[in-house]
Amino acid sequence: MNSDPGEFESLRKLMALKRYEQPPPGYFNRLPGKILDRIERGEGQSGLWEKFVTAFAFRPAMAYGFALAAFGALTFSVIYSVKTQPSESAQNPLKNGWRTGGSDAAFASQFNASEPLHVVNWNNTNSSNAEPVLPSLFGPGPHDRTVPVSFASP
Amino acid sequence: MTRLPAPEPQLAEETEEIGDRLLVRRAQQEDMRAYDALVRRYQERIYATVYHMTSNHEDANDLTQETFIKAFRALKSFKGDSSFYTWIYRIAVNKTINFLKQRKNRVQMSLNDVDFNAENDPDLVALVSDKNPRRDLNLSELQEKLNEAMQKLSEHHRMVVTLHDVQGLSHEEIGKIMDCNIGTVRSRLFYARQQLQAYLSDYLK
Repeated sequence: MNSDPGEFESLRKLMALKRYEQPPPGYFNRLPGKILDRIERGEGQSGLWEKFVTAFAFRPAMAYGFALAAFGALTFSVIYSVKTQPSESAQNPLKNGWRTGGSDAAFASQFNASEPLHVVNWNNTNSSNAEPVLPSLFGPGPHDRTVPVSFASP
Repeated sequence: MTRLPAPEPQLAEETEEIGDRLLVRRAQQEDMRAYDALVRRYQERIYATVYHMTSNHEDANDLTQETFIKAFRALKSFKGDSSFYTWIYRIAVNKTINFLKQRKNRVQMSLNDVDFNAENDPDLVALVSDKNPRRDLNLSELQEKLNEAMQKLSEHHRMVVTLHDVQGLSHEEIGKIMDCNIGTVRSRLFYARQQLQAYLSDYLK
């Protein structure tokens, strides 16, 4: 880049030609009037979005700041959601239909010890219906809860 | 009677800047006469910049008007961190570069006439003299070739050449206008001149 200063001398002389290119005579007398007319007609008035974009166009630092803040907020929200999701399900396992090893005591405490255990009598037959009606594993039960079963012989 | 010496260039610049500040303050309060004065002060320089970038009078006319309209609308947010001169140039440069990016390579030249004073410019006379290998060339043809070569440069290189070699702005002023450092301005200028010299080698001695 440290070239001979005379290296571009001919080019510099040629570029002088551009200074002689002039618009039609009287052009610069009419131009300010046209500009002021357009301003008075309300041209170029921007909406809120354009004002927002214009503010960034003139202040790149503001645009970078905004981008950084938006990125920070996004990162925070992602980290926050990842951290909070497992702890919520651990606190309330039945809400999500999950059963974890740590929640056994809470699960057992739902049942009243004084209530007799519900025993399924496999030998009981009904005359009108020879086949026993088994509780559905997936459909809603009468009490909408899991019933412990005793394996003791009747 | 003693004649007052002509003001030094730096003093003239400072006087212009003080005048700008007063006009800007009045224009910010919707004084249209003050804004008219600002337009008259800078219209030729802004028009010339846009014209040399586009090589098209109609496009330069539209973009110059839009630059001053946009500047008026944004004037209330102008805090005076830079001079009005740099600020308005920056608007014009951004508008022009955006326009050229949208236009891409669809160049349609609409050149202004060359002022008759060009025929008396010794530098230009030398270029079309019998020492030139293309001595059959007249100024209008040379103008067309020069504009075609300019249009082959990238927008940023063309802008640096326009502001420095045609408009005579300093590297520092160009750096402020184009929001880049002086080193970038210098390297862009060097590369752009090299490119132009290669494109115009037939017309340079």
